[in-house]
Amino acid sequence: MTGARVGASPRRVGGAERVTGGQRYVADIHIPGELHVKLVTLPVARARIGAIDTSAAERVPGVRLIVTAADLPQPVPRFGPQFEDRPVLAVGETKYHGEPVAAVAADTRDAAEEAAGLVRVEHEELPAVFTLAAALDPAAPLVQDPALRPGDPLAGTNVLRVHRVGWGDVDAAAADLVVERRYAFPIVTHFAIEPHACLAAPDGDGIAVWSTIQHPNWLQRILAKLLGLPLAKVRVHAPDPGGGFGGKQHAKYEPLVALMALRADRPVRLVLTLEETFQAVRRAAAEVTVRTGLRADGTLAFQDVAADYLIGAYADIADRVVGKGSYVGAGPYRMPAARIVARSVLSHTVPSTAFRGFGNPQVNWAVESNLDEAALALGIDRLEIRLRNLARKGEAFIPWDTPADGDWAEATRRAADRIGWGTPAAPGRGRGIAVGIKSGPTTGLSYSTVRLLADGSVIVFAGTSDMGQGARTVFAQVAGDELGAPLDAVTVVMGDTAVVPYDQQTSASRSTVLMGNSVLAACREVQAKVRAMAARVHGVDEAAITVEHGVVRLPGRELPIRDVVAAGLGRLGGEVVGNGEMRKDADPGHPLQGAPAFFEFNCTAIEAAVDEETGDVTIVRHVTVSDVGKAINPLQVRMQDEGAAIQGLGHTLMEHYIYDLRGRVRNLGAIDYRIPTSMDLPLELHSEAVENADGPGPYGSKGMSEGALLCVAPAVAAAVRDACGAVIRDLPLSPERVWRALRERDAARAGREDAR
Amino acid sequence: MHTFAYARPATVAEALAILAEHGPDARVLAGGTDLVIRLRDGSLRPRVVVDIKRIAELGPGIRVADGRLVIAATTVMAEIAADERVRRDFTALAEAAAVVGSVQIRNRATLAGNVCNASPAADTAPSLLVYGAEVVAAGPAGVRRFPVDDLFVRSGVTTLAPAELVTAIELPIPAGRLGAAHARRTRRRGHDLASVTLAVAVDAAGVTRLAYGSVGPRPVLVVDESGVLADAAAPDAATAPAFERLFAAASPSPRSMRAGPEYRLAMLRVLGGRALRTAIARLAGE
Amino acid sequence: MSPAIPIALTVNGRSRTLDVAPHHTLLEVLRDDLALTGTKECCLVGECGACTVRLDGRIVDSCLVLAVEADGGEVTTIEGLAPEGGLTRLQGAFLDKGAVQCGFCIPGQVMAADDLLRRSPHPTVAEVEEGMAGNLCRCGCYAQITEAILAAAEEGGR
Repeated sequence: MTGARVGASPRRVGGAERVTGGQRYVADIHIPGELHVKLVTLPVARARIGAIDTSAAERVPGVRLIVTAADLPQPVPRFGPQFEDRPVLAVGETKYHGEPVAAVAADTRDAAEEAAGLVRVEHEELPAVFTLAAALDPAAPLVQDPALRPGDPLAGTNVLRVHRVGWGDVDAAAADLVVERRYAFPIVTHFAIEPHACLAAPDGDGIAVWSTIQHPNWLQRILAKLLGLPLAKVRVHAPDPGGGFGGKQHAKYEPLVALMALRADRPVRLVLTLEETFQAVRRAAAEVTVRTGLRADGTLAFQDVAADYLIGAYADIADRVVGKGSYVGAGPYRMPAARIVARSVLSHTVPSTAFRGFGNPQVNWAVESNLDEAALALGIDRLEIRLRNLARKGEAFIPWDTPADGDWAEATRRAADRIGWGTPAAPGRGRGIAVGIKSGPTTGLSYSTVRLLADGSVIVFAGTSDMGQGARTVFAQVAGDELGAPLDAVTVVMGDTAVVPYDQQTSASRSTVLMGNSVLAACREVQAKVRAMAARVHGVDEAAITVEHGVVRLPGRELPIRDVVAAGLGRLGGEVVGNGEMRKDADPGHPLQGAPAFFEFNCTAIEAAVDEETGDVTIVRHVTVSDVGKAINPLQVRMQDEGAAIQGLGHTLMEHYIYDLRGRVRNLGAIDYRIPTSMDLPLELHSEAVENADGPGPYGSKGMSEGALLCVAPAVAAAVRDACGAVIRDLPLSPERVWRALRERDAARAGREDAR
Repeated sequence: MHTFAYARPATVAEALAILAEHGPDARVLAGGTDLVIRLRDGSLRPRVVVDIKRIAELGPGIRVADGRLVIAATTVMAEIAADERVRRDFTALAEAAAVVGSVQIRNRATLAGNVCNASPAADTAPSLLVYGAEVVAAGPAGVRRFPVDDLFVRSGVTTLAPAELVTAIELPIPAGRLGAAHARRTRRRGHDLASVTLAVAVDAAGVTRLAYGSVGPRPVLVVDESGVLADAAAPDAATAPAFERLFAAASPSPRSMRAGPEYRLAMLRVLGGRALRTAIARLAGE
Repeated sequence: MSPAIPIALTVNGRSRTLDVAPHHTLLEVLRDDLALTGTKECCLVGECGACTVRLDGRIVDSCLVLAVEADGGEVTTIEGLAPEGGLTRLQGAFLDKGAVQCGFCIPGQVMAADDLLRRSPHPTVAEVEEGMAGNLCRCGCYAQITEAILAAAEEGGR
């Protein structure tokens, strides 16, 4: 049972501030006496760092501090969420274009910029690897110092790790058809409109940091270790980020800025430019070879996936992206045998990190496209082949893991219906359909505190970062519903590690489920206390009292919760406090160290038109259906789903880094890295949610912010192929690529005619 | 951004004096939509920036004088795209001005600035070429007037002397009816730098003027006086060679990030054909 | 360092005089000198529209306008759109239609949408999409932004 607030779409909590310019993002915060930091970088990718001459820079009026690696604690501290391999500043050599070798702090941004330009760094460009082929060459220079991986047999290669998962016997599986193809996914970047920013200030015997970070508690842990401070002396303020998409999960320059603040004994601030942000975060490129085996009737026999991900010069969270993203590489299908081998390949490029979809879009692009290839070869309808093989709810599609947790066929049929599957498309148009799943969080720990105040209003403390997904609104709806408070009487406090209890992280579309359950548990504790209070005040047996949606039911009468609380608290006032804890412990025996809490399932169906002369693709209709369990806020569900779809259109149609031969990104910044604008939308974009209340979150909800991105590329490519016969296995489907594919189609047709 | 001095002359004479004094160390600021980007990225480091927007003689405005449409140097794209006379008599220019950047950019970017940057991809350049537009430039030796076609050298380089200032762009008002169209190719539908940009004008006498940019170091104007291209009824065998001749001067750079040479050359022909058909239809009053 | 230049301008109806460095943009002066941080900094090349303000009756990317160019001008920023503590109809429509996710691009979006409705009180979808193309939203709220603008137009304007 839910109350009036859950399932409704109230105005976003914090919305008024956002439309009036009052919302304070990190870059909007100033601390008196602050210094401005500018990073010093080299115009090359990999280079041996020689002497650094800061004398000219020091003479710039207003310059207060210049640090190089030599000025940092020795050995230079390294950090990272998975491997501690990233130095605070480059040590000995730079490993990618844009890696800072020094940093300047000055009274003004102008002085810092001028001085940074005057730091002279002797350097010698070194051989480097920027592509999978180059990095995997046995003679390739090593990206990572093997000493960082003692005892690792792969330490002498650029392969950071190999992830293997499988079941059944792929080599022995009987198949009537085997389709093998190779697919490529480019490097793309998050392009949050808010560039990354960080401030740090000495704070008594500790430090305070403001960051655009998604995981404030994780940053706190990293800084405490690096600075040798107790956790309690590292206070991380994390104002709502202006878009994260995974790019703001983990520390980048926060350790540097914190060290500079302590050294200068002044507050310092670093606000990256968009160009610098491009050199800080990006998605891993991938080349994926898929071998799919099928019976003649379209039943899948095996899936054999080899995925190489081009990660960057430091691991960041990239290897986890590779392992977790490839894990469901066999697809949401009943699969007798599967073999998935995914490699994280280091290169002298920008470190890749988490990005919406977390390694899944790369593999799903390949696996779903390959299934289409098989359907065409077998003469089976592309929808039909999916419906035939989709795991049924409750079916263990990965033998040891969480069974299929939704009615995936229902979502698929709905998407097919909405696109008009089975009806003829207009000439020049074609349709495509793709499905995909992403594993939800495999571990988690979310604490929350809910305070019911004497007047019935509520404060929720939850350490989630609301970076646009709308977590504040969802938690306010949950707490408001449970405790009967109108939304304008609920405050949600986030983003301050000194005030808000611990939350592991905001990622993997987890917060509605994990923190949502935590908030729910905290509300239940408040309700229990209110019940005891009502029993005491009214002399009634506690067992005869229920508290639901802000109404206290006593035998024979109902009271608003605020009346009960007011009476129970008495003259001194006070409040009723509940704490919530949602814990999902690690399972060391599981390949992902924990079974996914849920799967995000999505089906995307596309109708596209192709201009055969120019290669222009028009998305005529884009249908996305996600299984969300329960939409606590249907409007926000639609926004997340469509937002993911549009981001997917970006990497499908236009986005990619262009490197020069020396490993420098040529299209840094907004002029030559194109993302979709309001004119690049599908002519019709339609989002639907399947709601069977079968998720593990509050009221049966599931996480849902990434699913709609997983299937865009394969569905669009399929629609393009259906429309005109152009076959493309290399993203993005730029007009030029489509045009080339059409020339190849024509050449192949001509060849066939010649052969007759 | 590095620092510089800022000058805000009130007259053309004052502006010319400043330009003469500083030579190549001075840069003219009109809309700033290109200059400010280049000041920030450091590719231009002038000592003085000369803001011409407060010079009364330089407009902004669009007026007719002596059979010419005179577009003052500080007139912005938004005004040009919205101007009734431009839309009627110089359709291809109106179309080009309407796709230069976003609304925000078109509210600042000037036609004169677009021309003076001499970007090969400048969207207004092809239409100015097909309309036979002229540059009016004031300099130490007085005012001179010359075809836009004589201005462009290569990206960022023009035949203007450092101490010269463009005061207006003038377009002769066509004596007879013209059919014209602008077309471009970009990487997305939203605003973007063109990988091919072109304009076509066809007149009642059958003369076809085609100009294209972003396929070589500077925009190129080609004129076909045979009449065959303007003739919608001409057989393919007749039009094909003439059509092909139009593109002989195209030489797209292989280094471009926006599109490969092969694609650009192909699109030049596709867009050229489409724009030509539109122009012919417009001439016919369709 | 070139000397600072005194300028006078009207910002959100209030006269301001200040000294600005010639190379500082209007965006920098609004954010850093006048503490009007509602105008956002992102791409700095006039592509994203996060820094959109109204200058002398026209919207501009304030990252591409030198502050000295605004001398004598009239500037409206997001802070000056609605009466203190209130929302314009358009701002309300943004919230009701779900046009706001992270919110970082939204001040620029609202300024551009406000301008669009001034120029074209009853725009078509195509006009809205073209008119708003200078404002990037990476959360992908474009459809909702369009709905909000059309709804505000329907209900009587900005």
